Amino acid sequence: MDNQQKKHGALLKFVPRPDRPPITITYGPVGWLKKNLFGNLWNSLLTITVFFLLFLLLKPFLEWTLFKAVWSASTRRECLSISPDGACWAGIFPWVNNLLYGLYPDALQWRVNLAFAIGLLWFVPLALKKVQQKILFALMGVMLFPFLANYLFLGGDRSSVHYIVACSALAYLLTLYINIILTYLNGKRLEQHLETFMERFSKKRAALLGHSTIWFFLTVVIAYVFKDQALEHVGVDAWGGLFLTLIISGVSIVMALPIGIILALGRRSEMPIIKWFSISTIEVVRSVPMITVLFMSVTMLPLFFPNTMELNKLVQVLVAVCLFAGAYMAETVRGGLQAISRGQYDAAKSLGLGYWRTMIFIILPQALRIMIPNIVTSFISLFKDTTLVSIIGLFDIMLMARNISIDKNWLGLHTEPLVAISVLFFVFCYSMSEYSQRLEKKLNTNR
Amino acid sequence: MELPFGFDFISSTAGFDIGWSIIPYEPTMSYGRVYLVGIFNTLILSALIILFATISGFVVGIIRLSRNFLLSQCARWYVEFIRNIPLLIQIIFWFIVVFSTLPPPKESYHLLDIFFLNNRGFYFPSPVFESNASWTLITTLIAGIGSFILIKKSRAYRKLSGNRLAALYPTLLALLSVIIIVFIATGTPLHWKIPTLQGFNFQDGYFFPTAFAAAFVSMTIYRSATIGEMVRAGIQSIDRGQLEAAAAIGFSPFKTLRLIIVPQAARAILPPLINIWLTILKESSLAVAIGFPELVSVFIQTSLNQTGRAIEIVMMVMFFYMCTSLLISFVMNRYNKRIQMQEG
Repeated sequence: MDNQQKKHGALLKFVPRPDRPPITITYGPVGWLKKNLFGNLWNSLLTITVFFLLFLLLKPFLEWTLFKAVWSASTRRECLSISPDGACWAGIFPWVNNLLYGLYPDALQWRVNLAFAIGLLWFVPLALKKVQQKILFALMGVMLFPFLANYLFLGGDRSSVHYIVACSALAYLLTLYINIILTYLNGKRLEQHLETFMERFSKKRAALLGHSTIWFFLTVVIAYVFKDQALEHVGVDAWGGLFLTLIISGVSIVMALPIGIILALGRRSEMPIIKWFSISTIEVVRSVPMITVLFMSVTMLPLFFPNTMELNKLVQVLVAVCLFAGAYMAETVRGGLQAISRGQYDAAKSLGLGYWRTMIFIILPQALRIMIPNIVTSFISLFKDTTLVSIIGLFDIMLMARNISIDKNWLGLHTEPLVAISVLFFVFCYSMSEYSQRLEKKLNTNR
Repeated sequence: MELPFGFDFISSTAGFDIGWSIIPYEPTMSYGRVYLVGIFNTLILSALIILFATISGFVVGIIRLSRNFLLSQCARWYVEFIRNIPLLIQIIFWFIVVFSTLPPPKESYHLLDIFFLNNRGFYFPSPVFESNASWTLITTLIAGIGSFILIKKSRAYRKLSGNRLAALYPTLLALLSVIIIVFIATGTPLHWKIPTLQGFNFQDGYFFPTAFAAAFVSMTIYRSATIGEMVRAGIQSIDRGQLEAAAAIGFSPFKTLRLIIVPQAARAILPPLINIWLTILKESSLAVAIGFPELVSVFIQTSLNQTGRAIEIVMMVMFFYMCTSLLISFVMNRYNKRIQMQEG
């Protein structure tokens, strides 16, 4: 070793390597800028160009919407005299009421608000952790709430059955909330308090009996309390605006799932008649535009009913939209059904479960769980598609917005209402799609 | 209003005028002709939308994947804004706010005095074929078939021998030169009729009415956003390993794109793309809202109001949409099967 070193001593002179280039900063705001915007010459040039274009585009837009906009004026002429090249948002404000409720009388709009508040209350517990049997009360909500809502929206002399169902819906909601409060207070539900008493009548179903007794009792009380409260009749013609849009999309969203499940199961059925009926329904509805289904419902449905019977347009539209949404949902559900492995069916069969039990307890819960993001996506597109009802003359938010330009004070005010409802739709749809994406991530991590 | 079921109304005179049609139409013609006019108007509208939306959709999708943060965020918000606002609102916005506020014909915007845009529509030159033009057409057809056979042969040769035989570019060159020679030899039998302002309106040339332009622009934009999102998903679905493998065996970026990315992305993109094309065909019926004379407008609205034959007319319209949808999906599914991965 030592000898070798001496021999080559002359050769082993220390020669420093050239310096390494300085480390490019890849952290912090500067690093981020370097990496994402100014990585190389081409990238920097691109960034500057895009920035410039964006500036050119956004400046007039912001000026129009905000800086030069008129927020209070009594007519469009006044708007134009204040600022000729700004938006005239003043025209929207007197119409906000109509945009939200259509021609629903001002004094009775509390009914709409009340119904929507109750609807929201019904679905708040779904987000609470301690609440049990979420599916049950969501299902009850879907079945009972429409009667209550319809009773409130329509008013007038309804049949007593309708009245009692509406009261029972209210009573059910009340029991639900009492139960939730009790669960959070001491962990015992209402029927569990009654259990010892109810066991005298039936040992097995004491809880159910207790619950239904309270429900029945509350129904009677509510029906008695409100029996003199007559609600003024508001015809379907007066419904409109966002209110109508939400009704149509709400009903079709709620109906789409059961119709879709039935059609999807029918399509996979082994009975030829059911199978071919489902296939032809799905394929025909899916291969024609929604507008033709709407026209079909409006022009053809009256032909199949006796002349004396007057169908209202809303019902016809709802039939069409539900059919349409159901056919699309069927394909979504079918996608979920196909993703379930054969083993699940075999396992269910070996446990001795029949067709319906297999479907309800084994297959559908899994299939729907997989398809939740897709279902939300189709809800979003359904919500957007409800604007089509304006073509056949229902006064939804779209047609209401267009009517502003006919108002003699705001003659020719086209752009602002369209922009306003666009923003509204964007907020609704964007938040729904963000929610579905978050849901998708959550479901993926759970698996 | 009790009407017997039957299609006898098809041959009776329609008697109303249609604002714009590609096939000749007079009010004295029959309802059958009206049906055809509607079909052709729908087809030309949706074909143009499909073409342009697909191209711009690919552009949007590729911009969305750009490494430049600003650019990709621009594409992202473009997509989010466009697809979360109902199409009908966009159509009406373009029609009322943009195309109806264009200047009158006398002050119309123009490009090189050939294309004109005003509040009546978009005017562009129309080709005029003389009788000799058929020779050029025949030559084009024969040359096209010939080059197709040649390319097939060269592909078969490559499979057998492993050597590439340049076929595409030489054939294309030969094809073009032959066509041009024939075209000149027969005395250039093609002229363009340029629209000119006469009185209050333009004469000569073709034009698309503003309703068509609004429907076309709005639906192209709307669908470019959806297709862009699909293209992004398709390209992102390619495994990173594929790109690394391509880099490892020394493929250039362009070669990677052509031989690795595009074929695999096409497999993921094509099935949803077919669906979107079908949706566009169906969606083009929304042009009824701004009064463009497409099938739903001329047939379900006008003709149905005049004849009262609800069942027959709705059935005929649905039949057209069904047939076209089934045809497109049949053809495209066959093509799709060919390009999908063949295992085993």
